[in-house]
Parts: sequence; structure tokens; C-alpha cells
Amino acid sequence: MGKSSKPMSHPFLLLLVLIAHFAMMLLVACSFGLTPEVFKMACAVLTADFVGSIILAVVQREACTVDTVMLLVIGMSTIYQSCFGGLSFAVKHFIFGIAAFLMCQVSYVVTRNPYRAERLKPLWYAIFFMLVAAIFFLTGSRGIWIDLGVITIQPSEFVKPVFVLICASSVRKQLHKSEVAGIHFVPDNLMLILCTVVIAGLQWWCRDLGSLPTFVAIAGCGMLLRFCYLREKMSFRLMIFLAACAVMAIIFAWKLAPEYVQARLHSDIWSDMSGSGYQQVKALTAIAEGGWFGKGAGNGTLIHVAAARTDIVFSTICEEWGLFTGMMTVILVLFLPASILTVPPRSYYHSGLAVGVAAAFIVQMALNIFGSCNVIPFTGVTIPFISQGGSSMLASGILAGFLKAAQAPVLTDRAALNKEGG
Amino acid sequence: MAKRQLRQRPPIPALDVSAPRSMRRAGKWTAFILTVFLIGLGYLGWRLVTQSAFYMAKSGKATYGKVVDRTGDVLFDGTQPLTNYEWGHFADVGNLIGDTSGQMSNTIVSRNLDELVNYSFTYGSGSSATILQTTLLHSANRAVFNAFGTKNGTAIAYNWKTGECYVCVSRPCVDIVQGYANIAEMPKGSLLCKAFYPTVPGSTQKVSTLLAAYQFAGVDAVNNQQYACSGSWANPNGDVIKCHQDYGHGTQNLAAAFANSCNPYFAQLVQSGLVPLSEIILDYTRMGYSVNGEQAEPFSLNGIVIQPASTTLVDKDQFETEWGALGQGKTLVSPYQLMLWQGAIANGTGAAVKPYLLQSKTTAEQKTVSLATHMQTDQMFTSEAAQAVQAVMTKNATEHYYVSLGNYSCGVKSGTAQVSDDGRQYENSLLVGYCLDESCPVAFCIMIEERESWDVTTAQIAKVLLDSLYGKV
Repeated sequence: MGKSSKPMSHPFLLLLVLIAHFAMMLLVACSFGLTPEVFKMACAVLTADFVGSIILAVVQREACTVDTVMLLVIGMSTIYQSCFGGLSFAVKHFIFGIAAFLMCQVSYVVTRNPYRAERLKPLWYAIFFMLVAAIFFLTGSRGIWIDLGVITIQPSEFVKPVFVLICASSVRKQLHKSEVAGIHFVPDNLMLILCTVVIAGLQWWCRDLGSLPTFVAIAGCGMLLRFCYLREKMSFRLMIFLAACAVMAIIFAWKLAPEYVQARLHSDIWSDMSGSGYQQVKALTAIAEGGWFGKGAGNGTLIHVAAARTDIVFSTICEEWGLFTGMMTVILVLFLPASILTVPPRSYYHSGLAVGVAAAFIVQMALNIFGSCNVIPFTGVTIPFISQGGSSMLASGILAGFLKAAQAPVLTDRAALNKEGG
Repeated sequence: MAKRQLRQRPPIPALDVSAPRSMRRAGKWTAFILTVFLIGLGYLGWRLVTQSAFYMAKSGKATYGKVVDRTGDVLFDGTQPLTNYEWGHFADVGNLIGDTSGQMSNTIVSRNLDELVNYSFTYGSGSSATILQTTLLHSANRAVFNAFGTKNGTAIAYNWKTGECYVCVSRPCVDIVQGYANIAEMPKGSLLCKAFYPTVPGSTQKVSTLLAAYQFAGVDAVNNQQYACSGSWANPNGDVIKCHQDYGHGTQNLAAAFANSCNPYFAQLVQSGLVPLSEIILDYTRMGYSVNGEQAEPFSLNGIVIQPASTTLVDKDQFETEWGALGQGKTLVSPYQLMLWQGAIANGTGAAVKPYLLQSKTTAEQKTVSLATHMQTDQMFTSEAAQAVQAVMTKNATEHYYVSLGNYSCGVKSGTAQVSDDGRQYENSLLVGYCLDESCPVAFCIMIEERESWDVTTAQIAKVLLDSLYGKV
């Protein structure tokens, strides 16, 4: 991956994407035959691969890992979503996938220059509070959706990338401390804490505490980066202090959690199989029925359970395609945050972005997969790029753009920096 | 020009090794989060694979395998209609082994459904049936079941050396082949195995009282203690405890009183203060009784739940306490627990080998895994007390049961329990004991409900039990 920017490796990786999608389409054709719907889906997915490859090859070739993985995962998820319970090309999902890919390019362009992105910090704060206001005033009765008639938007999904931007900024401001009444503090850190509290309050107000761990993870990583700024070694005392704070926060949250959350924390799904444990019982049974290699595309029955395409999508994939494919899909999505291990970020700002996105992606996936499989309490969050949902898909695309930016070459050319605002 | 320069720059700078460690730490943290997630994913995969049979069992979509006895004789078959078996084949094991109908919840099948599911993550439903092998000997079980004749009751026996449960019958018993269409007309108790439910133990309780006395006062002191029996005995409050022999047993020592099952003797033993009541309570508690409402731990036999014994001991001068120490009134003990104590007496250690019913499991992939447990109970009483009681019980068997039990080297204690149920008063006959023969090392408990003098005796059933097992286990 580290050498993926070389001219030859890029086409090679994209060829692999084409082969993977082609193989999946063959399996779909084996299940459903060569129907017009299969043909339509194959054309859409393979054309998107091909066009995406051409565009990327012509426009720019640096940091191609993220693009390649995105193309692969979006195509796969389109095939999955189209085959759940029977064949019906998931046009909407596919379009949002394309849009996510484009959003990735946009966010990449916006954030690849760390100096400029950091200077736009006031804008990120403004967008953040606008989104918060939108959730507060436009979502109706303590909900999380804004209904625009044709389309519904989940603004809290878009808060995630903005929050990552906020967390990543100000890492280099740690030396600029203010003093009030003899207490030294970094104003930006206070702003970050304020934003976290606002989000936590908002999530509580919306009764959507499922996403809270994702935000807390992003904030925690951002805070850690700030604390460790310019430190050669992690302070043992600092680590102990932070761990103690985390434990206290968990205990505090546990005690103060609303009744319905408490019930979920202590519920035994097997003693309430038709009630609160219904989705998880069905999800686990579906995985067991699917075995290693699944029942075959379109042969699943979990699709009749609520949230089969979103909150328990991992089980739906496992039922039809098998646990092996389900695990491989998850690992493929993990390639996105893992890509920074091979092409490390080259600025503090990009380090913050990369860690924030990694925390967001991984925590969200953990909540979805482990929650639906009854390892941890069940929460209604999505798997990036795999679950159905436009807001989630676009927000994930934006986050992926940050990863791509983190792997971009350092802008050493002064003129280019000046031109781009560096 | 600047844009062109940017686009045409082919090499990405290699990792800036001179970058501060604090900046490179981002990669380490990401690697840490990824590692934690991947470990979790690995755990999830392992859990899904190993618990898939459980999920299928819970979902109700599963097919089930077979339960067989120690020789391979089928006790339950989920792979084919049970009507394919000869009439009465399952008649003696219906309420112990059970079935998948959901009508009985405290049976081997219903408590081990996930073990019995014909399912593996790799092979799916599989071509071969899952087989659960039990420790039961079906031929012996059937013989004991038939020995009850028309009487109801229960019998349970296990190997006090290994813990294998050989026989467990309970009459009346549902025939699972017939189904549950006439469930309303089934005799009371058909759907449960009485060996696992507390009942009035009668004079078999005297074994517990004797154990407590031996532990506190010492073997010699108790053995030499003499009390008079004139057919009845009045406690300090004036309450009368009657002996089953109207004209009494006269003055007797412990061995004679134990053999005579003399109520006045044991009532005086409790009341005299030779053993303080607090000591009796302590010893009973150690044996697993719930005394005076203090909840003891229930027992588990491969998932089958067995409620612990219970009794009320408040004041040594009170009739209720004395009556309870004689195994009547509010004292309740399951035949399973009575058998367990006999196991601890037979091995002379005061701690019993825990009984088990499931020997092994052969999966759909034809892998056989052992389910046998070789565990011991906590120390229930001292080894000295166990050996002393063993001597008394063996003497009792030799002197009073030689004819009925034959040449077996046994120790036994009989009992008659006065039961009040649904306004009816009747008596159950019990026999607890053990066999010390190497070819048949079993501890047992047999109970016949509402036995009349002309009915089959517990000793006769014990003889059938020992004959059926001798040399075959």
C-alpha cells in the first residue's frame, strides 16, 4: 500500500476491484440467472469502477489507496443491498455511493493543505453549531431526522466529520496558553470540551445515545493528541490520569443513563426473544443459518426484520453470503483507517484527522457489529459504506476524504502553498 | 504553473523519520484501536461458530438428534417418529429424558437442547445426528420401573465412586410416544421426575440427625446413649411423639433404635441437649438443607434443577422441631439428595462424588466429546461420622434386610413418611442405602407412594435394582 502511488500499482489495484466485483456478479447471476436486473446492476457497478478508475488515473494519482478501497466497498455494498431477500437493484444506495465518492474528493481537496484547513477553524465551528441548531429546531419532536418530503436527512451524521475537523485543529495551539485567575488553560481545549458536552446533551435530548460513543471516541483521540503534542514520551502520570477520567466518565454515564438505556444494558435477549431481544435473536440465528458461505444471494429471510439493511446489516450479509464474506467485508472497510499505517500523516493536523476518522469508523463498526451480535448493548448505528442510508454514506465519504488528505504529499512547493493559501 | 508542479510531482516523500515522535504517535494509536477491534472481531467469530447450535436451538428451527443409554439403546430420537419404536420403549424414561415438545421443562432434553441440536456451523444440519450418551442403563431402569407394579413412586441410583447415574425412574410416567392430547387426564405427577423434587423423608431423616449427633458428641458417646421407648414419649410441653410400635421398644441403645426406627429415641436425642440444636442446624446446613428459611443452593444434574432439602428447627422442646428432626412435618428432601448423602456415607469421606447423567456427545461431524464430570461436593460431614453411620447402616442391613436384599454388602435405612396432600393423609415408604460390592458400587433412594402392607416393598425394588446392575456397570 505504501507504494500505491507509483503509476503501475494504481491500475493494478483497480483491476483487482473490477475482478472482485465481477466475481460477485457471477455469484449473483448463479443465484438469479442472467435477468435484466442482474445485467443492470452489473453495468452500473462495473461502469462505476471503470469510470472512477479513469478519472482518478487522469486527475491525480497520489493517495489512491482510499479511493480504491472506497470503490471496492461501495460496489460490494451495492451488490449486497440489491440482493437482500431477492434481487432489486438498490439504485438509491448506488447513487449515494457515487455521491460519497465525490464527497470524498471534495473533502480531500478542502483538507489536503493543513494550514488552510486549520485556518478555516471558525468555519468548522460555525457549521457545527448550525448543525446542532438544525437538529434542535428542525427534527421535530426530539427526533434525529429532518423530513424534507422527498428525502430525509440525519444531520447528526454530518456532525461527525465537522467534529473530527474541530478535534484535529488546534493541536499546535497547545503552547498558547491563557491565564485566568492564575489558572493556565488552552482556550481551544475548552471549546472542544464544550462541543463534546453540547453533543452529549443533544444526543440525550434526541434519545439517540447510540452515536454518543462515536463522538466520545473522536473527542478522546483529539484530546489525547493535544495533550501529547510535542511530547517525546507519553507521561505515565498523564496516562493514569486520563484512564481514571475515562473510568469515572463511564461510571458517571452508567449511573445517569436513562431508563431505556439501563434496561438495554442489563437485558437478556434470550429471555425476551419476541420483545427487546427480537432483532438480535433473529440476527444471530441468521448468521448461524448462513454458516461460513451463506445461503446464497437473495435467499436470506432476515430482510423481513426491521433495520436489516442498516443496524443489523452485518448479520444480513452473513446470512446470504456467509460469515467468511461478512468478516472480509468488515476487514476491507478497516483498510480505510489502516491505510495511514502505511502512508503516515505528515502534519499534526493530518494526524488528528486520521486518528479521528479511525476512531469514528472503528467505534461505529464495533457498535453495529458487536451490538447486533449481542456482545455489547445494541445501538442503532450504521457500518460506514455498507449500511443503507444517504446521510451516513455521505458523512462516511467526507471522513474518507480526510484520510486521503492525511496521506497526501506534503506541499513543499512554496508557490503552491501560497496559491492554496498555505 | 504551481498547480502543474503539484500534479507532476511523482514521488511521495518517504516517511519523514525526523518527524516528532508525538506526530508519528497517530499511527500507533490507530494501530492500537485496530488491534482491539480485530481481537474483538476474532472473539465474535469464535463465539458465533461455537454457539451456532445454541442459536438454532433457541430459534426453534433446529432438528434434534438422539439420546441413548450407556449401551447405545435409544432413549429419545429427534430424527424419526417415535412411533417407529416398539410400544412402551420410552415408558420408563419419559419424564426424565423428556422430549422437544416443551411440555416438560426440567428434563435432560429440554435442559440440553443446544447440545442436542443437529447443527454445526461448518456442516449445517449435517447428515449425521448428534448423539448424547447418558450414563443410564436402560435395561436396569426398565426393570426397576416395572418392579413398582401398579404403585407410584421413584427410584434413583448412582455409582458413588464415579458419579454415573444408572437408574432414575418416576411413576406415573408420561409415554412421549402417545403425546399430550390427553394431558388433562394424565395422572398427577406424570410430567415430572419425582426423584428431583423434595418430599417428606420420614425416618430416613434419622441418618442426618445421627450424623449431626456423631459429629458433635462423638461416636462412642452417642452409641452408648440409651433412652426408653414405651410406645410414645411426651416432650416438656406435653406434646406426644408416638412410636410406630404401640407397645414400645423398651430401653435401647442407638444401634437398636436406628434399626427399630424408633421415634421416641431420636426425639429424646434431640431434646436431651446431647447435641445442641444450634449444632444440628449447623450440620444440616452443611449437608445442604435450607434451615428455617435460609435458602440453600439448589443442585444441578446436567441442567436439571433440584431444589435443596428444607426443614424447620426452632426450639428443641417444641414438637415441630423434634418432629422435623425425625423427618416428618415440614421437613422435605428430594430422593436425589438422600442418595447423594448415601454416596458420601458409602465412600466414608463425608463428601460425595457429584452424580451426572450425560456421558458424552457425538456431534454431527462425528466428533465425540466427553461430558462426564468428576467433581466432588463440599465436605458435608466428617469422615469419622460417615464411617460410623456406615457401620450402623451396614449392621442394619445385615441384621434386618439379609433375606430381602440377598448377599449384597449393603447398608440401608428405611422410613415411612406421613404425607398430607390436597387434604388427603397417606404414607410413603422409603429406603435409602448403598452397596459396597466392587461389581455394583451404588447409592440409592427408593420411594413408594401410598404403600400398603400387601404391596411391593422398597427392599424388593432395591433387590431388583441391584440384580439389574450387578456386574453390568
